[in-house]
Amino acid sequence: MKLFSLIALVVLFLAVPWIIPVPFFLHLIIMVLMWTVLGAAWNILGGFAGQVSFGHATFLGAGAYTTMILYLKLGVAPWFGMVAGGVVAALIALPIGFICFRLRGPYFALSTLAVAEIVRLVALNWESLTAGPVGLLITTLPDVSFRGHPIDWESKTPFYYMAVVIALAAVLATAIMSRTRMGAYLLAIREDIDSAEAIGINTVQARVSALSLSAFLAGVAGGFYAMYLRYIDPDAVFAISLSVEMVFIAVVGGLTTVFGPLIGAIFLVTLGETFREHFLVGHLIFYGAFMMVAIRYMPEGIWGKLRLLMSPQR
Amino acid sequence: MRARRADGAHAIPNAGMETFVQSMVSGILTGSLYAMIGIGLTIIFGVMRIINMAHGDMVMLGMYGAFWAHAAWKIDPFLSILIWIPGAFILGGITYRFLLRKIVPGGELNTLLYTAGLSLFIANLALLIWTGDYRTIKLPYAIMPLRPFGIAVPIPLAIAFGMAILVTAGLYWFLVHTDTGRAVRATSQEPEAAALMGVDVERITIVTFALGTALACGAGVLLAPSLYLYPTVGEILVAKCFVIVVLGGLGSVPGAIAGGLLLGVVESLGAVYVSVPYKDGIGFVIFLLVLLFRPSGLFGVGKS
Amino acid sequence: MALLEVKGLTKYFGGLRAVHDLSFQVNAGEILGLIGPNGAGKTTAFNLIAGFIRPTAGHVLLEGEDLVGMKPYAVTRKGIARTFQIVKPFKKLPVLENVALAAFLRFPSRAEAESHAKDVLERMGLSQKLAAAATDLTLSEQKRLEIARALATRPRLLLLDEPMSGLNPTEIDQATRLVMEICRGGVTVIWVEHVLKAIMNASHRVVVISQGQKIADSSPQQVVNNPEVISAYLGKRSIEHVVC
Repeated sequence: MKLFSLIALVVLFLAVPWIIPVPFFLHLIIMVLMWTVLGAAWNILGGFAGQVSFGHATFLGAGAYTTMILYLKLGVAPWFGMVAGGVVAALIALPIGFICFRLRGPYFALSTLAVAEIVRLVALNWESLTAGPVGLLITTLPDVSFRGHPIDWESKTPFYYMAVVIALAAVLATAIMSRTRMGAYLLAIREDIDSAEAIGINTVQARVSALSLSAFLAGVAGGFYAMYLRYIDPDAVFAISLSVEMVFIAVVGGLTTVFGPLIGAIFLVTLGETFREHFLVGHLIFYGAFMMVAIRYMPEGIWGKLRLLMSPQR
Repeated sequence: MRARRADGAHAIPNAGMETFVQSMVSGILTGSLYAMIGIGLTIIFGVMRIINMAHGDMVMLGMYGAFWAHAAWKIDPFLSILIWIPGAFILGGITYRFLLRKIVPGGELNTLLYTAGLSLFIANLALLIWTGDYRTIKLPYAIMPLRPFGIAVPIPLAIAFGMAILVTAGLYWFLVHTDTGRAVRATSQEPEAAALMGVDVERITIVTFALGTALACGAGVLLAPSLYLYPTVGEILVAKCFVIVVLGGLGSVPGAIAGGLLLGVVESLGAVYVSVPYKDGIGFVIFLLVLLFRPSGLFGVGKS
Repeated sequence: MALLEVKGLTKYFGGLRAVHDLSFQVNAGEILGLIGPNGAGKTTAFNLIAGFIRPTAGHVLLEGEDLVGMKPYAVTRKGIARTFQIVKPFKKLPVLENVALAAFLRFPSRAEAESHAKDVLERMGLSQKLAAAATDLTLSEQKRLEIARALATRPRLLLLDEPMSGLNPTEIDQATRLVMEICRGGVTVIWVEHVLKAIMNASHRVVVISQGQKIADSSPQQVVNNPEVISAYLGKRSIEHVVC
């Protein structure tokens, strides 16, 4: 019975573009899925490891620019570029972690924000690499076919499937990680970093690992962002507001859970994007409101709360 | 996301003593307002041990308060501070009493996230109500700058500077010469000892938060005639002011003043001698360096 | 060879001298009591041995290997575990998870780690509380959890930092018996304590620290009658009232 419903769900997911071929609806789902990846990425470092970062846009932007530059200058197909974007993001995470992990709690958060701002300014001014404020634009995506059918990049459908794949990968990565020893160690670090050291956990290595995975996923999402929106500039991909949105989606959804980011994205992105369609500005008002309500009444997040309510006792 | 000068001042590329002094003066003027915002932030941290991410949005509210007082009621923005500072004090008190009070016991990180939510809420509400159009306040007496000793000093900034000094002096008097003020300082250094000595910590907390908010709003009012106003200015401001507060030592008022002035000067000099686009980043680079090598701030006092 | 040898351990915090030229040995199978007036430097000594702070000078030799410069997790991996004076459990995690996390060091598989954790918790008398959140335990239970967590890393040497503070007399007796049992189980113990009755009764040897320096290093009986020790604790008055 369980297997059947799982298969049914998978089929449903795959069939969405045919069931509801409305472009805005598909755009909404694509955004939800993309932000699920970003929220999941943040959740690994901010949720599981308890290291609250306000500068994760750095990795999103790194992935976006890597993908764009590889495609525009070297002709590397964006789906490979996305993976490269993730790798580049994970690499720049290493020196960032080296600097920022010396600090704790709110100081760590502020330092990540400082780093993100510095990176944004560098991207804005290193024009030979990034074209600065002018940004980078994809005019035509690769001429490829899938099983004999040429891919129509004007339609949302190919992007939908790509988004499903990366969202699935992100959720799966979180699920697998949470079951490993490393996952358990991260939760210990989240609770009390000194005690974690005292029981033999190499907390620096653990945090760096979490950061690398987190940065990789954010970088991949950044690459997708670049491909989907086809235009990026430093203020679009390195903005503080993007970092903040990632935090909010993860927290409102439910930190340290596997599905929290998905739930958070469903709530916040749907409301936000729909609002943005009609009012153009101010859509983050929902993020703010949800965050305040969550911290006050449901610090474990929407999904966290649901899980508590659904579990038999305890 | 950079606060832009409405008077259009640019960095002038020819070097020389005049340019240096000019940029020092600009830096100190702007820095005094950074300092005022920073003082509010630092006393809130000192007493409540929380990072108030919505602080920058309080500045924004002050800016718009001044703008609307001028646009709707024809009140000179600098006079409107008489309305807005008490108003902000009350707003701060209400914010603490009805929103923050139950959140603070949940810990530093929870409060940080909550105030981040509050910040987003306020900024986006402002975006909805007042739109994202840049606003400016045009004052008839502010068109030509003063030129003492040949240094261009925009009048609104000069007035702002003067009033910021007055406010800071008033605050200093309050902290040193009144019972409540002394209680604020005591609680900011040792909350438990202060409670044992009979300080009503709850009352001091609400006073401090209200005071911090009033300072932020006041600085916003003073800055309004000198900047382009837009609703999301709080975002970058709060980041910069945390740089100040951490550099000066969390909880230290003199540290915030020094930090604010320093940031103003560094940004101003940076715009001239390094490059205009990177000037916003200089503060952050220094911030990171200080955090790494002198975690207690440039002037000591902070907590690690 | 002694299991642990501390040689010339010195730590300055700025101008403040916390520990000065501290040297002592601990032999395998011993319970070494570490006592001294408040602020004498006992917890600092623990932090130095366990790697939480770096000494200004001196060596910490575990069977001849110098541990100075190692991070705390590496020291734990070498076989020295510690408890904290003010307990630091993983508050929101269940009791079993608290200890399993420590057991992971020697038992990488979850099943084995949990099994080992259960054994240790049983020895500490906490079998009934496996699913409880650490923060829901009584103080005495939290102290036992703290010890269980340290023991789960299979240490050769256990550093106990004031495990008795805050306990009532019955609990103190239980805890004393527990410490002796841990020692019988093959773990060497260095024990900082203020409850002198307990530590004097259970320790094989006692080291007394005052103002960062060692002022005595002998059997409990000898230490009790040592005039320097008495004056360090109580001015010139007798120590009789403190030890029953």
